[in-house]
Amino acid sequence: MTIYDKNLATSHDDILEKIAEALDIPPSKFEEARNRYHAIGNWLDRPESEIAQFNPAISPQGSFLLGTVTRPFTDAEEYDVDLICRLEATKADFTQKGLKEAVGREVALYAEAHGMADPDEGRRCWTLNYAAGAQFHMDILPALPDAQRYQGVLLEKGFRALASDTGLTGQAIAITDNTHPHYELASTNWPLSNPSGYAAWFRNRMKVRLDEAKLAFAKRAHISASVDQIPDHKVKTPLQRAIQLLKRHRDCMFVGDCEFRPISIIITTLAAHAYNEEPTIAGALQSILTSMDHHFEYHDGIAWVANPVNPSENFADKWVGVPKKRENFVKWLEQARRDFGLYLRASKFDEMPTELRKNLGEDFVDRMMKAATPASALGMPAVSASAASADDLRRAERAIHQIHQTGSQSKPWAKA
Amino acid sequence: MLSLDAVKAAIAFDQPKLSARLDGANILIEGSYLVVEGAPAAASGPITEFAIRMEVNPRYPHLEPKVFEVESRIPRNPDRHINGDGDCCVTVWEHWLATSADHSIASFLNGPLNEYFLGQFWFEKTGKWPFGERPHGAPGMEEAYADALGIANRRDVLIYHLRLLSQAWPKGHWACPCGSGKIIRHCHRKDLMGLHSRIPPHIAKKMLRRLMAN
Repeated sequence: MTIYDKNLATSHDDILEKIAEALDIPPSKFEEARNRYHAIGNWLDRPESEIAQFNPAISPQGSFLLGTVTRPFTDAEEYDVDLICRLEATKADFTQKGLKEAVGREVALYAEAHGMADPDEGRRCWTLNYAAGAQFHMDILPALPDAQRYQGVLLEKGFRALASDTGLTGQAIAITDNTHPHYELASTNWPLSNPSGYAAWFRNRMKVRLDEAKLAFAKRAHISASVDQIPDHKVKTPLQRAIQLLKRHRDCMFVGDCEFRPISIIITTLAAHAYNEEPTIAGALQSILTSMDHHFEYHDGIAWVANPVNPSENFADKWVGVPKKRENFVKWLEQARRDFGLYLRASKFDEMPTELRKNLGEDFVDRMMKAATPASALGMPAVSASAASADDLRRAERAIHQIHQTGSQSKPWAKA
Repeated sequence: MLSLDAVKAAIAFDQPKLSARLDGANILIEGSYLVVEGAPAAASGPITEFAIRMEVNPRYPHLEPKVFEVESRIPRNPDRHINGDGDCCVTVWEHWLATSADHSIASFLNGPLNEYFLGQFWFEKTGKWPFGERPHGAPGMEEAYADALGIANRRDVLIYHLRLLSQAWPKGHWACPCGSGKIIRHCHRKDLMGLHSRIPPHIAKKMLRRLMAN
């Protein structure tokens, strides 16, 4: 009798899912981070807080919100949890500097009350470092709601449809920047940002698969809930998994060269554009890798990766001054295409080619492969040549059948 | 003009065992062509592989690429749709141009070339061509053109149609090719307009030139 273990992989997708799952932030770490940022939110909103009157609210942004977090490359590195600290205030209440420092003072008091080091000031945010064991730090971005000005700027630049889409622009914010000329002045001219709008756009790019995954989750968990009641972070779509794998590939390929490696927002934006709701990770990777570079725009000859919720912002703006960044993107894409292509197109699911193993982390991949394919690890007897040949014939028959169903395009001929 | 970068991008994922480089004016693609069941991946890996060399002119798809099987796995016999030098008779080029909406190099690699090598593998195992085959030489070409146009396979009819379709706009005062004796304007005008939009003049001209040369 053959006993099938449902945890064993039987396809490329099973293997990629297991690798991506292992790259993801573990649920316990995710909950720990959530609890900690909720605790900061509660602290900022406590009665004694100098900003309590402005109803401060903490919410995630970046990969934590998009569901594309990848585990740090080494145990010594930390998860970077990006947060927005949004106050229900106006620019009449604060200068940029005033807001930054008011939030900073409260974050410093939180740190002190919890025996932590003082927060570090960045150009736009405060970084709160936890004890080494926590394995994460939080970047807190002080912000005010500023949808109206954001929409006005979009209108001025001719993006009328986007400006009137409140789902994408209604949560835009004004942020602080200590290098901004109006940083210390009472002014309405603040830098603008729209991380929630970006997340809404990203979510729309995978809506079919997200809803499908939530329904499957509800069924598995035996709960009767609508898709809207299930939090996004409970499930993962092929797009999110593909992005996690691509970011890991980037991390491994440019280990020791973080400064010039392709940045996550470019990979994420181009991948989401290229994704066509494929139901599998392999399918998502194929679509993304073969066409992500078709989504570059060129403005006066300059490569442009437009922010989908503010097309005048170029995520690749550094490429003009630092050509190495563009060269590295091209190099990475070429390598990723070949590495994933060699695995998905040229290999059996339980035989990962050396280059992809290397570029996803050899030890890490070997552990995953061993856990997912114990039979091969234990050295199953080789399939006989005749059985393999019969199997090839069956597969060829299926391939022929598929082509017949889609309408055969061509017949061989002899020119002479 | 087809660039080396575009070819590299087309093969990198789908055919990762091929590599491309410039060879004089041409783009040379070499390596193992994978025949895979379904896309993007098959759990058991590719069904088979063929060692190939492809010469692609930058004026592709205006000029047909040449594909050679380089390890003599396919016996050099016209009945196997291959010439003595390994030149593979993949398809009647203009038939593919006329019947496919996507003429990119990726579409050629995943379409006719895949069918050709899958067909070769199937013939090796069963002695049959899974998608049929064309007669050798001019008769095969005529059959393919007639198929593409959706008309009877008669050389005179074919030539008349192709002359008609080679015009920038089908001439309403020409005799209708159906043989009714009426002029097109008063006969199959609508059908011919539809055919004209499906087979553009540059493809019709190519077909006509090749047909007349044989």
